[in-house]
Amino acid sequence: MGTTDKYDAIIAGAGHNGLTTACYLQKAGLKTLVVEKNDYVGGAAVSRELHKGWTYSNCSYVCSLLRQEIVRDLELPRFGLQVIPYEGNVTLAPGGEYFGAYGNHDAYRREMERFSVKDADAYDRFSRIIMRQCRFIRPFLLRTAPDPTSLKPRDLGELLFMIKRMWDLGRREIDETLRFWTMSIGDMLDEHFETDLIKAGTAGSGIIGTGLGVYSPGTAYVLLHHYMGDVDGSVGAWGFARGGMGAITRALAAAFTEAGGEIRCGSGVAEIRVSGGRATGVLLDNGDSFQAPVVASNMDVKRTMLKHVGREHLPAAFAKAVENFKIRGSSGKINIALDRLPTSDTLPDNGKLFCGDYSCTESLRHLEKAYDEWKDGYWSSQPYFDMLIPSKIDPTMAPPGKHMMTVFTQYAPYDLNVDGVRSPDNWNEETRAAFAKSIFDRLECVMPDIRDCVVHAEVRTPLDIEREVGLTEGNIFQGELTFDQLLFNRPVPGYAQYDTPVDGLYIVGSSSHPGGGVMAAPGANAAREILRRKGLGRRMPKLASRWEE
Amino acid sequence: MTYDAIVIGAGHNGLTAAATLARKGARVCVVEKNAKPGGMALSGTLDGVEMPRMAHLVYNLNPRVLSELGLSNVNLKPLKTVSLSPDGNHVVLDGNRATRVDGTPHPEATAYAARYDDLKRFSALLAPLAERSAPGVSFGGRKLDKFSELMAAARIGLKLKLLGRRNMREFLRILLSNVHDYTLDELSDGPIAGAMAADAVKGSWSGPRSPGSVLSLMYRMSGSGPAHVMGGIGKLTEALAEAAQSQAAEIRSGAGVARIFVAEDRAVGVLLDDGSELRARTVLSSIGALQSLKLAGVEHFDAETVTRLRNIRTKGTAAKINLVLGGVPTFSGLPSDLLGARIVIAPGSTYVEHAFNPAKYGEMSEAPVLEIVMPGQIEPGTTQPDRHGMSILFHYAPHDLEGGWTDAAHARLLDITLATLDAYAPGLRQLVVASEVLSPARIEAETGAPGGHWHHGEWSTDQMLTTRPASGLAHYRFAVRGLYLCGAATHPGGDVTGLPGRNAALQLLKDGACA
Amino acid sequence: MTRPNTPDTLVSVKIGMIDTPFQPMLEPLSESQAWYSWAGYKSATSFRNVDLEYFAIRNQATVFDISPMCKYRINGPDALRVMDRLVVRDMKKVRAGRVAYVMWCDEDGMVIDDGTAFRFAEDEYVLFCQERTYKWLCEIAWGFDVTVQDWQSALCGLAVQGPCAFSVLKDAGFASIEDMKPFDLRQVEPGLWISRTGYTGDLGYEIVTFPDHAPPLWHRLREAGQRWGLIPIGYEALDIARIEAGFLAPGRDFQPSHKVSRLHRGRTPFELGFGWMVDLSTGHFNGRRALLEHAAKGPRYNLVRLDIEGDAPAGNAYVYAGKSFAGHVRSAAWSPTFKRNIALADLKAPWGKSRKKGLWAEIYVEQEGVWQKRNARTRVVEGPFMNIPRARMTPPQAY
Repeated sequence: MGTTDKYDAIIAGAGHNGLTTACYLQKAGLKTLVVEKNDYVGGAAVSRELHKGWTYSNCSYVCSLLRQEIVRDLELPRFGLQVIPYEGNVTLAPGGEYFGAYGNHDAYRREMERFSVKDADAYDRFSRIIMRQCRFIRPFLLRTAPDPTSLKPRDLGELLFMIKRMWDLGRREIDETLRFWTMSIGDMLDEHFETDLIKAGTAGSGIIGTGLGVYSPGTAYVLLHHYMGDVDGSVGAWGFARGGMGAITRALAAAFTEAGGEIRCGSGVAEIRVSGGRATGVLLDNGDSFQAPVVASNMDVKRTMLKHVGREHLPAAFAKAVENFKIRGSSGKINIALDRLPTSDTLPDNGKLFCGDYSCTESLRHLEKAYDEWKDGYWSSQPYFDMLIPSKIDPTMAPPGKHMMTVFTQYAPYDLNVDGVRSPDNWNEETRAAFAKSIFDRLECVMPDIRDCVVHAEVRTPLDIEREVGLTEGNIFQGELTFDQLLFNRPVPGYAQYDTPVDGLYIVGSSSHPGGGVMAAPGANAAREILRRKGLGRRMPKLASRWEE
Repeated sequence: MTYDAIVIGAGHNGLTAAATLARKGARVCVVEKNAKPGGMALSGTLDGVEMPRMAHLVYNLNPRVLSELGLSNVNLKPLKTVSLSPDGNHVVLDGNRATRVDGTPHPEATAYAARYDDLKRFSALLAPLAERSAPGVSFGGRKLDKFSELMAAARIGLKLKLLGRRNMREFLRILLSNVHDYTLDELSDGPIAGAMAADAVKGSWSGPRSPGSVLSLMYRMSGSGPAHVMGGIGKLTEALAEAAQSQAAEIRSGAGVARIFVAEDRAVGVLLDDGSELRARTVLSSIGALQSLKLAGVEHFDAETVTRLRNIRTKGTAAKINLVLGGVPTFSGLPSDLLGARIVIAPGSTYVEHAFNPAKYGEMSEAPVLEIVMPGQIEPGTTQPDRHGMSILFHYAPHDLEGGWTDAAHARLLDITLATLDAYAPGLRQLVVASEVLSPARIEAETGAPGGHWHHGEWSTDQMLTTRPASGLAHYRFAVRGLYLCGAATHPGGDVTGLPGRNAALQLLKDGACA
Repeated sequence: MTRPNTPDTLVSVKIGMIDTPFQPMLEPLSESQAWYSWAGYKSATSFRNVDLEYFAIRNQATVFDISPMCKYRINGPDALRVMDRLVVRDMKKVRAGRVAYVMWCDEDGMVIDDGTAFRFAEDEYVLFCQERTYKWLCEIAWGFDVTVQDWQSALCGLAVQGPCAFSVLKDAGFASIEDMKPFDLRQVEPGLWISRTGYTGDLGYEIVTFPDHAPPLWHRLREAGQRWGLIPIGYEALDIARIEAGFLAPGRDFQPSHKVSRLHRGRTPFELGFGWMVDLSTGHFNGRRALLEHAAKGPRYNLVRLDIEGDAPAGNAYVYAGKSFAGHVRSAAWSPTFKRNIALADLKAPWGKSRKKGLWAEIYVEQEGVWQKRNARTRVVEGPFMNIPRARMTPPQAY
C-alpha cells in the first residue's frame, strides 16, 4: 500500500492542457497535484533524446495554436519557452515538380504565376477569406461553449455572444461563414484554384490529424483549425519551440512548481475514485492513492470515463455517448536522426525553401485515394507527408552539422486490416517495418538519398502513440474535429463545459472545446470553470484581450 | 398579349409554380422543350410496357402542395422497403418497423425504431423551413416580412425547446453528422444501416461517411416515406398540369426557350426556339441556375453571382436503368408478395461507401447501390403476363466518367447492374427482354438537368437554405426584377417535393412582381 | 502553363525585387539609392532630393517609371461589352484612341480599384491599375467573346510630366502629338503609344512600349530632355503632386474591396467623390443594383479635400466636427506650390458635404523629442487644389 495524501485538486496527465489547468488552480490557491504515467512530463508535447545527441519532438512538432494570452499570463518565456517562427513550405510532387510557398510575398506570387496567374490572384483572395474566418473564430477559443438547452443567464449570454458575432457579419458573410464551416477543403480549393499541385499543397492542413478525406464536408474548418493560431500576431504562422515541443510543457511544469504545485511522474492513474457520485481522488498504478475533491483529467474523454471511472458510476446515456465519441487514429510519424541533409535534385537550392515544412503530394485526387485506403483499415500506399527539419533553425536539436527530421504521415489506421481482420493487434514488428518501408519508398521519390542519411529512425504507428502518450487510437486531437464534436457538442452534448456527470471530475484535455492542437485553451477554460464552480471564479485571470481585431 | 408569368420547364416544380400562380388568378404560360410535360417525373414506355422513365418514387412529396392545388386524384401508395442481404436474411422496413421477410421482428428492430423515430421527429421540426423561403438576415422587404421571418425562426426555436433537453441536444449533435457513424453507433453494418445510408446519399455526390448525410436523410424522411404514385409517376405531373390548365394556364410543349428577354433590368418575356416571342411581366425558370442565367444573358448578373453559380456542384451520380422482363423474377429468400416493395441493394453502410469511392475518380461503381421498383407488382392487373417492367436507380455513375459516356460505357453499366441483380435474383439476366440505360449524361441531354444531377445541384450543407442556389439569390429572386428561379436548384432542393415551385410562386406573389 | 521541372530545367523564381526594363538605366542616376518594392519591382522612392524632384514636376519635366503598374489587355468582339460590364462609367462614350479614368466595383458597389482604360482599337483595351486583377477580369469576361491577357511584363512605360513635357517629347521626335487633347491616345511609332494622361495634374504624357524598345526610348528622352531640365523622379515627389491634383491612391485614400479581410471597409464611388462617373442608366454593370440602393440612401462617408491651418504634417490625423469624431485624414502633404497644408480625408456623412463648418484636425507633432498636440482648423475645398490651365491647353505651351 502506497501513500495517501490530500490535495485540493489532482490533475491526471501532465500534457500541456493538464499543466495549464494545474498552473491556474495552483495560482488560485488550490493545493494541486499532477500525476503522470510516464517518467517525464509533456504528454504529446515532448522533447526526447531517443538517439544520443538528437532531440526528438516525437509527437507534436510545430507550434502556432498555443494561445499567447496563456504564454504571457503564465510568464512561460521566463521558464525558457521561446517560439521561433519559420516560413515557407514546399510541396514536392513525386514527378519532379515542386511548389514553393515562399515567405516573401512577391516571391510566393511569382512562384504561383509559374503555374497560373489566376491562382496567384486567387491566393490573395483565399488568404483573406481564411483571415476573416480566423478573426471570427478566435474570440471563441478562450470562452466556454454555451449549453444551448440551458436558460441560465451565463449560457444565454454566451449563446447571444455567438449569435451576435454571427449577426454582425452581415448577410453575405453569414452565408460565406456557413459555407466555410460545412464545406470540404477539396471543393473549396476547386472553387479558388486551378492548379492541382497548389490545391494539394494547401489541402494538407484540412486533413492533418483527422479521419476525413479532402472531399469530406467539414474539412475546410479543419484547415481553419490549423490556421487560426499565430506567432507574434502573425496569423497562420507556425514556429518551432526552441529545444523542441517539450520546451512548452517544461515551461508549464516549471511555472507550476514555482507556484508551489507538485508533480509525480512514473505512475499513471489506475482508477479515478468515485463515491456517492463524487470524485474523491485517484489510485495510481503503483498503489499510491491521493484524495481531492477535484479531479481534472487531461486524458481524452473515452479513456477517462470508460477506463478509469467505469460505467458503473455513469448514467447509461452518457456512457453510450462517450463510447460513440469519435477518436480515430489516422496518422503516424517517423522521427529521423540525419547524418546530413537529404538532397532533392529537383528543388532549387536557393535556401529559402528548406526552412519550413515539406509535404509530398501531387493532387487532391491522390489525397482522397490515400483516405480511401485508410477507411478500409490500410495505411495509405502513397501517404501524405508533412516533414520538417527543425534543426535547420534550432541548432539545439542535433549535434553540429547533423539534423533532425520529423515526418508526419497520413493516413495510418489504428485497427490495421490484415487479411480482412481489423485490429490494433495487427501492429507488430513486421507490419511496423512494412509501414516504415512504404514511407521511405515514397520519401525516396522526392529525396533520393534519404535512406543514406539516416542515423536512427523512430517509427510510430497510431498504436505506439496510444501506448506511449495515452491518446486513444493515437488521435492527435483527442477526438475528431467534426461539427458533431465541436463547440457545445464537444465531447458530449450537455457536458461541454468541462464537467462530467461525476461531481468534481473534469475533462481538461483536447477532448473538450475548442479541441486539439498544442493550444492550451481547453486547459485554461477548464480551470476557469473549475474555479467558478468552487466560488473562486475571481481568482482566474481574464485572458481574452479587449482588442481581438 | 402579355402573360403575368411564363414558367420555363414543365417538370413537377415548374408545373407546381404554374398551378399555384394560376390559382391565384395569374395568367400563366408554361413552356417545355420536350414533347411531353413531366421533366424527370415522367411515365414512359419501354417495349410497350409503361414505366417511370426517370424518378420512380416519391419520398417527401409535400402534402401542402397536393392540398393547396386540390390534387385529390393523386393517390400515393406507401411502399415497404426490402433491403436485401447477400446471405438471404433480408430485412423489411415499414415505417419504424424492421422485420424479417416472414414478419418476425428483426433483432435490431428496437434500435432501428429509435433511430427512425428520432429522425422523423427532427425532420418534422425542419419541415416548416422547407415550406417557405429560406430564412435570412435583412433580406430587404417590409418590416412585416422581417417580423414574420423572426417569428418563423422563433417558432422553430420554440419547437426545438419543446422537444425536451435530450432531443434538442441530440438534434444539435447529429444535424451535421454523417449517417455512417450515426447508424453504426447503434446498428450492425448490415442491410438496415445500408438502406438508411442509401436513402441518405440518393442522387448526391457523397457517401455515408460524408458529414451532412444525416441531414439529407432527414430531408428525405420529411414526407410519406417511399411511395408509389398510383398509375405511375407521370400521373403526378399530369395532375399538376391539369390543375394549372383548369385555371386557364397554358402549357406549350415542344417549345424550348432560346432566350429570356430582359429590358431595363426587368424580365419581360422569352424567345422560343422557333423564333416566336412571348411577353410577360415575370419569368420563372425551373431549369438549372446557371442555365437560367445563360438564357437571360450573363451581362445582367454581377460577376460574383456568375462565379457562385458556376461553382454550384452539379456532379450527377445517379443513373436509371429500365428493364422489361419476360417473367416475374425470383429473389432468393424473398416471398413474391414482397416484390411490390421497394427493393434496395445496399447490404451495409460500408458497401455504400465503397460504391461511392470510384465515383470520386470518374469511375462507375463495380458493386453498385440499386433501388428497384416493379410497378406491375405494386399495381397488379396493370401488367401483361409476359412483360414486367423493372425500374432501377443506380448509384454511383458519375457524370464525369473517365472516357465519357460512350455506348460501351452504357453497356457496361447495364452489365454491372444485371450482374449485381443476378447475385440476388439468379436467372434474372435471362429474363431481360428490353433494356434502357439513362446515364447522367443522357439525363442531362434529355431533361437539361445540369450534370444530370437529380437535385440540379448537390444537396449539401454548403448549398442549402440561404446559399441555395447561391448567396444573395436565396429568395427565388434571380437578380433581374421579375425573374425567378423555381426549380430544384433553389431552396429547399431536389426530390419530387413540389416545394421549390410552390415557394417561388408564393414569393413572387408576395413581392407583387406580376401585379 | 505548367512547365515540367526536371534537373536540366530547374526552375527557380527570383527572391526579392526585380528590375523593370528601365531600371538598368535609372539605377546609375540615383544618388540616394532609395528603392521600394512596387508590385515586386524595384522602384524609386527618390533619386536625389524630394523637393527638387517635386519642383521639376511643376517647373520643368520629369520622368517616372510606370512599368510596375498592372496592365491587362482585353481584346475581342465583346471587348466593349466587357468593359461596360466591368466599370461604372459608360464606356460607349470612350472612342478608340481615347483613355478613360475608370473605377470598378464589387457586387456590393464597393470600389475594387481605379485605373485608366486605354482604348487601343475598337475591340482592344488595355487597363492600367494598381491591384492585380487578372482573375477578376476573367470572371467579368466569362461568357463573353474576348481574351484577357496579363500584360504586366509585356508592356513597360514612362510618365513624362511637367510643363516642359511636350517640349521634351517634341525634341525627342514625337512632334506629331501636338494636337493631342487630354486623354487622347495615339500610336506614334510601331510598338510605341503615347497618351496625354498622368498622375500629377500638370501637363504630361505617358509612353507605353514593349520592353525591347525601352533602352532606345530612354536614350531619346534623356538626350532631348537635357535642354528642358528633365530629371527622373521617385514616388515621394509624385505623391505630393498627386495630392495637389486630387488623385486617389488605392490602399491609402480607400481600401480596395478585394484587399481587405476586415468587413465593411469598402467605399462606393459616391463616397469617394466620383458619383459623376457612375452611369446608372445604360444597362447593367457590376455592382449597379447595389449602387442604385446606395444612390437612394446617400453616402455613408465622404472623401473630401481639406485645407488645414498651419504647416504640421497632418497624415493620419483625426478629424473632429466640434466635439464629435468625424473621420481620418488619409493622404496629406504640404503643397510647396500653393503654400498650403492639404489633405484628403475620409469623413462620416454628412460631414464634408452638407455639413462643413467647425471641422478641425487633431495633429500630433514631434519636434526634437517633444510631442505637441495641435488642433488645427480645417476647411473643405471643392475641386482640386491645383487647377492649372496649362495642363489642358491644346496645343500645349512650348515650355
